[in-house]
Amino acid sequence: MIEFHCVSKAYKGVKALDEVSFTVEAGSVTGFLGPNGAGKSTALRILTGLSRPTSGSATVFGRPYAELACPGRRVGTLLDAGALHPGRSGREVLTLGAMMLGLPRSRVEESQELVGLTGKEGRRAVGGYSLGMRQRLGIAHALLGRPEALILDEPANGLDPQGIQWMRGLLRSLADSGCAVLLSSHLLHEVEQVADQIVMIGRGRVLARGTVAEFARDGGLERTFLELTAQADRSAA
Amino acid sequence: MTPIDIPFTRLLRVETRKLFDTRSGLILAVSAIGLALVAVVARGLTSEPRWFTLAGTAAIPLGTLLPVLAILTVTGEWRHRTALTTFVLEPRRGRVLAAKCLPPLAVTVAGCVFALLAALPMTAVAAAVHGVEATWTVAPAKVLGWIATMVLVTGQGLGMGLALLNAPAAIVICLASTALWSTVARLGDMGAILAGWLDLNLTTNPLMNGGLTGDAALRLTVSVFVWIVVPVAAGILRISRKEIG
Repeated sequence: MIEFHCVSKAYKGVKALDEVSFTVEAGSVTGFLGPNGAGKSTALRILTGLSRPTSGSATVFGRPYAELACPGRRVGTLLDAGALHPGRSGREVLTLGAMMLGLPRSRVEESQELVGLTGKEGRRAVGGYSLGMRQRLGIAHALLGRPEALILDEPANGLDPQGIQWMRGLLRSLADSGCAVLLSSHLLHEVEQVADQIVMIGRGRVLARGTVAEFARDGGLERTFLELTAQADRSAA
Repeated sequence: MTPIDIPFTRLLRVETRKLFDTRSGLILAVSAIGLALVAVVARGLTSEPRWFTLAGTAAIPLGTLLPVLAILTVTGEWRHRTALTTFVLEPRRGRVLAAKCLPPLAVTVAGCVFALLAALPMTAVAAAVHGVEATWTVAPAKVLGWIATMVLVTGQGLGMGLALLNAPAAIVICLASTALWSTVARLGDMGAILAGWLDLNLTTNPLMNGGLTGDAALRLTVSVFVWIVVPVAAGILRISRKEIG
């Protein structure tokens, strides 16, 4: 459903992504795991058409994201919870999204409820929101169109333990209802708890791929992660 | 159900709403209308009761504040990085930018019409107070030329905003251009020729006076190209190819 096919990206000769390939199937949660600066955000921006790959291609439902008709209706995206106009209320942010996607206004309340933002919080300017509230708002925005695929960049950042547990449940139930979920994170534990499949990335390259169970069997996710990223750093240096 | 493309009218509605749903946008729009009214009233108190003269005074607040509104509209998505959301929902960036350009121009026309309407009762009141006959007649070409000039002034804001994607720089260029060109015009023959072709304040004068001849039309076209058409086109092209992140 979401497919990276040999995606490379170079900025002024420096390779940010090097032949990244992997697939996210419908009904599964894929954790895109890597240290800061590994290329996770670059990959997700290429996937959503904000950036162009130097070579290779990324597709959603078999087509480049930007070529989908009204992509926001089929693909929910949260790339940066901080990218909000501080003067708009949470409700206004959702209203603009619903208008743009041609959705009834009732979706604004439904999405707000789904992420646990109260009516009062929704009327406040997002400039005063905590990072956790911004993440919830961003997830509500991504879910407006009842998407079949979900792309989330570091959604667990700033969430408190209750928030993280809530998100885990939400992503699980979305995947169980057939949604393809791709979430990036540098938080090993978070990804391990919710993902079915893990794609490990370091220095722009896919270091390992597999199910959570496979990683657990082969020495544990954390050990594998630390070993592989250290190796990638050494070979880059 | 297969979703269909976002219609342009919907983008237009969203971008119009964004113009007024933040405090800065709302303050600017309300100030522009409020100060336009103040300008019309003040002129009515001090000068002869000529309807179009009174209405024309509104050009000062409208011509100062509406280009700023235009600049903030087209640069706002970068300042707050909301481009990340906007262009994910509509990847055809040129359509979004076109939808951003139209509302400030429509607001400018509305502001001019408002000034013309506000000047009606004020002219009558001023005539009664001063005890003189009011002048109502004006060539329609002058009224249209005035509105067109105001639209071009806002258009320059769009051009500078899109080309620079930096609100302070664009605002400085728009607001300082009058003073700057009057200096250039005094720098000998070459300066005067340059100003005659490139200073929008000068080239729009014949349009405002309702007497746009062939030579004046050519000068106006050149300056509109340099300050509006080229920067808007270059800005849209650049943003369409830009990496957003």
